[in-house]
Amino acid sequence: MIRTLLATIALALWQTAALAQTNHQHVSGSACGEAVLRCASKVTPAFAPDGTLWLAWLAGGQVSVASSKDGGQTLSAPVAVTKLPLNLDTGPDARPKIAIDRNGGIAVAFAIFKDKAFNGQVFATRSADGGKSFAEPRPITSSSESQRFETIGVDADGSVFAAWLDKRNRIRAQQSGRKYEGAGLFFASSKDGGATYAEARLASDNTCECCRLGLAFAGPGRPVVVFRNIFEGGVRDHAVVSFADPATAGEVRRVSNDDWRIAACPHHGPSLSISAAGTYHVTWYSNGKARKGLFYARSQDEGRTFSEPLALGRPDRNPARPYVLAGPRGTVMVWKEFDGERTAVNVTISHDEGRSWTKPVAVATTKDTSDHPLLVSDGHKAYLSWMTKADGYRLVPVGDEP
Amino acid sequence: MKRRLLAAIFLLGSLVAAPGADTTSDFKLKPFGRGSWQEVLRAHAGRPTLVHFWGATCGPCKVELPLLGKFMKEHAGIEVVTISADLVPDLPGATRAMLEKAGLRPAENWIFSDGFVERLRFEIDPTWQGDIPRTLLIERDGTITTIEGSAEIPVLEQWSTRQRAAPK
Repeated sequence: MIRTLLATIALALWQTAALAQTNHQHVSGSACGEAVLRCASKVTPAFAPDGTLWLAWLAGGQVSVASSKDGGQTLSAPVAVTKLPLNLDTGPDARPKIAIDRNGGIAVAFAIFKDKAFNGQVFATRSADGGKSFAEPRPITSSSESQRFETIGVDADGSVFAAWLDKRNRIRAQQSGRKYEGAGLFFASSKDGGATYAEARLASDNTCECCRLGLAFAGPGRPVVVFRNIFEGGVRDHAVVSFADPATAGEVRRVSNDDWRIAACPHHGPSLSISAAGTYHVTWYSNGKARKGLFYARSQDEGRTFSEPLALGRPDRNPARPYVLAGPRGTVMVWKEFDGERTAVNVTISHDEGRSWTKPVAVATTKDTSDHPLLVSDGHKAYLSWMTKADGYRLVPVGDEP
Repeated sequence: MKRRLLAAIFLLGSLVAAPGADTTSDFKLKPFGRGSWQEVLRAHAGRPTLVHFWGATCGPCKVELPLLGKFMKEHAGIEVVTISADLVPDLPGATRAMLEKAGLRPAENWIFSDGFVERLRFEIDPTWQGDIPRTLLIERDGTITTIEGSAEIPVLEQWSTRQRAAPK
């Protein structure tokens, strides 16, 4: 209780401390310094069951949320999730998370840097009034050790499943004189729509500490998380963990053997989507000895085995930030390519559960910095969701090709 | 209990005052923008140079930076350039503080100052996706060896020894 109170007080104080920094943040990643969508460096989409598009974004040192009934053309008045500017985690693979339950309840999670050493803290909140207001954000866990790279998803029963990277076991190990590589993959569930979470549990120790996680559900109560793991010898290759239920993590299974032995922060995490047929679709980046670049693989046995990795993109155009979505009209993948002047988002589609893919086509370009390309579905169509500094926010239908 | 809580609140208040504090304001970082990479290469042409890409929020970088500071002190013949390539914007205060603490203030220190980081990285190495730390060892003839991830100091020492032996 006291920890939660202290963390809340710390959040409030940080809001003040972050004010000065916020005015300068637009210099690097965003078009301007206010809290509006046009100034956002990171935008995360989610469709509500009624077809309303919801966006959560980072801008002006705040997390804001707004909705659109016309595919992003016009937005509702933004609602501030955080009331004052914060020292938000704006790292390359960080972003605010938003998930919407079947009753229109909105769960949001985000991370801040809580100290000079860039230790993170994950906060969560929810709106129970259709996005008109959000509860005061609360720490997702009572632990005070660094947490970052949270992900959230709504389960079939309306509970919210969260996973994140957490350094509590690293600190414990160091205190007892043991070496500990990376961070731990922790998880928790919320039975109140994302306002509060049950006690955090460990899914796996020694994961890479600076890459986003991928989350999807294999069925009701069966979350699956893909992450960059640290395998024997410091090899930072990808792994998947399938949960038997939201409180029971399964074993860690390797997605691919890329042999990327590196003591570094790749800042470049994977993406996971699971089709109605139960196929796991995973896409990721590696710079390993065995393979370099972007790759895709699928599993039809709940992650026990994966197909031979398929390379994506033109190697001479620095393909980056892959994302996959098993959508209503096939499985879609997007990624960025850069030719020295211009960034393009390429799309490829599979209509046979990932066995074959269409020739990639560029569906959007920009001439300045941009957010990662994301995919989102309204249950009928898949869309590319992409924030760009020069051209603003874009929602582009994809996956209509035969 | 109440007293402990109040003390903790006071402590938190002190902590949050810290991030903006910067005691190294006379220590300037060079802004790294479009064209800066060619500037670096031109300025150090013909001399063995170690270029280190790092970032204040990168865990392995925090471990490596003081080792590089020591390396620089002990290898006067090697020119050391650091470039903060962290993608969290606006960290000059933290960057200066970490360089200072690591003994790297006398090095030539840059910080990414253009938000279009893809283009900055493309100018340096079109295949670099932004992972840090990353060290480039540049020989007198311009040959570049890239070390991805944390560099091992014995490897840097061996390279330094070879540079001393190489014809000038």
